[in-house]
Amino acid sequence: MNSPSRTRARSRFGRSWLPAHILVWLYAVLLVIPLYYFVASAFKSNDEIFAHPFALPSSFSFHNFSTAFTSADLGLAVVNSALVTVFSLALTLLLAIPAAFALARSTGRLASAVEKVFSLGFLIPTFAALFPTFLLAAATGLFHTRIFMVLFLPATAMPLSVVILVQFMRTIPKEMEEAARLDGASTFAVLRHVYTPMCLPGIATVLLLNFLTFWNEYLYSLVIVGPDPAQRTVQVALPTLKAITGTDYGVLTAGTVLTLVPVWVVYTVLQKRMQQALVSGAVKM
Amino acid sequence: MATTTSTASGGTAVRRPVPPSPSAGPGARPRRQGGTVLAVPALVWYLVFMVGPLVAIFVVAALHWPGMLQPVSFAGFDNARTVFADPVFWEAVRNTAVQLAVAVPVMVVCAYMVGYYVAQRPPGHRVIRYLLFIPGLISTPAKAMVFYAALSPDGLLNGGLKAVGLGSLSDAWLASPSTALACLIALDIWAGIGFTAVLFAARLGSVPEELGEAAQLDGAGHWRAMWRIHFPVIRDYVGVVTMLQFLWTLFGSAQHVLLLTQGGPGSSSTTLSFLVYQKAFIAADLGYSQTVGVLLFLVGLVGLLAIRRAFRQNH
Repeated sequence: MNSPSRTRARSRFGRSWLPAHILVWLYAVLLVIPLYYFVASAFKSNDEIFAHPFALPSSFSFHNFSTAFTSADLGLAVVNSALVTVFSLALTLLLAIPAAFALARSTGRLASAVEKVFSLGFLIPTFAALFPTFLLAAATGLFHTRIFMVLFLPATAMPLSVVILVQFMRTIPKEMEEAARLDGASTFAVLRHVYTPMCLPGIATVLLLNFLTFWNEYLYSLVIVGPDPAQRTVQVALPTLKAITGTDYGVLTAGTVLTLVPVWVVYTVLQKRMQQALVSGAVKM
Repeated sequence: MATTTSTASGGTAVRRPVPPSPSAGPGARPRRQGGTVLAVPALVWYLVFMVGPLVAIFVVAALHWPGMLQPVSFAGFDNARTVFADPVFWEAVRNTAVQLAVAVPVMVVCAYMVGYYVAQRPPGHRVIRYLLFIPGLISTPAKAMVFYAALSPDGLLNGGLKAVGLGSLSDAWLASPSTALACLIALDIWAGIGFTAVLFAARLGSVPEELGEAAQLDGAGHWRAMWRIHFPVIRDYVGVVTMLQFLWTLFGSAQHVLLLTQGGPGSSSTTLSFLVYQKAFIAADLGYSQTVGVLLFLVGLVGLLAIRRAFRQNH
């Protein structure tokens, strides 16, 4: 914020804040230690891990990574996860943007009822519906395929995405659309050339939120995509490392670190944006 | 917000004679140019994949269905009777109750305090904020791997205990009936505080600064300012976050249980949501599984309403 309030802020933290400083940093350390242990262990052998759990690795060889990669077919799993995530995100936007556009502009009773139906979706525990969804996958013949996940995930994202986008689209002044109409723009052109560009921050929010949930989705992927290495996602492949490698912690941690990399990169680049996205996601619920 | 003022740049250059604007008069019919139809695909998608399965839970709960390929018959309330007579179910109820009673309050209270701390922008708050968010990024299997590596017999915790000479305290944490559930709760709390604190910090950031300053001038300590001044202001939001954590804990615990303890040893760490999974996909008793699913749904609903009531602004 502005600098005067900041200088004032500094003087605010007297001695009485000491316990707070200590406790919060202690928690931060608790968050970091396991991660440090993970990244460090990914470069070590089992003997090294047990003998010196907190020491820096003696060599930075990628042996464990390559073992994890090959023994659990992680490369293929990363590709599968990327495919599922990208196609699901595309489909989510394709469905949610027109829907939000329609709901934001119309004032009818039907539209407000539809909007309510979407926001009630927050109450649906997706987990409880795991078995019926499994039946649906079996009935459509898409059981054990990534395709079902690509169709299914956008539906779970619909309530949050529509609600967030509607909020953004309501802020667009009506005059913008009227001006476009005077130029002879069709409804589709209004959506494409007025609403979509002006809602880019909202779209980015929706993309980030859904990227996190889609990439990290586990239980549905486990049951519906299943264990076939050609189809399974990285989150399903990861726990199998525990069984395959026995207790080779080096390989286990290397594999886990690999699955974290994409999210990590996105987070570090878009840190602020991502926190905003999650906050606005929770606020709207 | 990046305000891109593109007025139908790609629109046609042909200016047609101006049609009367449909939204002109108050008595005119509502604007229906390309109306609500555009919401239909999204709605259909959502009804097929979300609402359909939800309804199906209730249907399957009323069926006698002893396995995927077995004949199905109508059971009425038989499943409910079986479930209520099953001691494993009651143990799962107890475990879930313990989990909710410990994890949710600890998480929300600690997260609020950490969030308040960060929102005051103490030295290093940027670093803290970055770190707090880490558990929110990690997928469930990865979190489970972290805890597996930390808590397995030759893992991080036992190693640490031995290193400081407390080796006698070491235990097979995840495989011992007295600690398995506690480990799962610890995982929830460990991951939940940071992420929730970020939510609180963001909300507290939008509370006007004058409020805290005025309180300071009045001689309120930070403890008082935190609970007496700021807390009431964001009370609604605390309610929303509590509801979310309640639902995540109630429904999400199946994944941690599956990955770390498989409900064992015995059924000492079986939670209700894991019971739904276990009965459907391991024991293949589908009617039983979905009956618990219905109960879980009802518990979720009742809990939501109760939390909402508790946090309603009563002035």
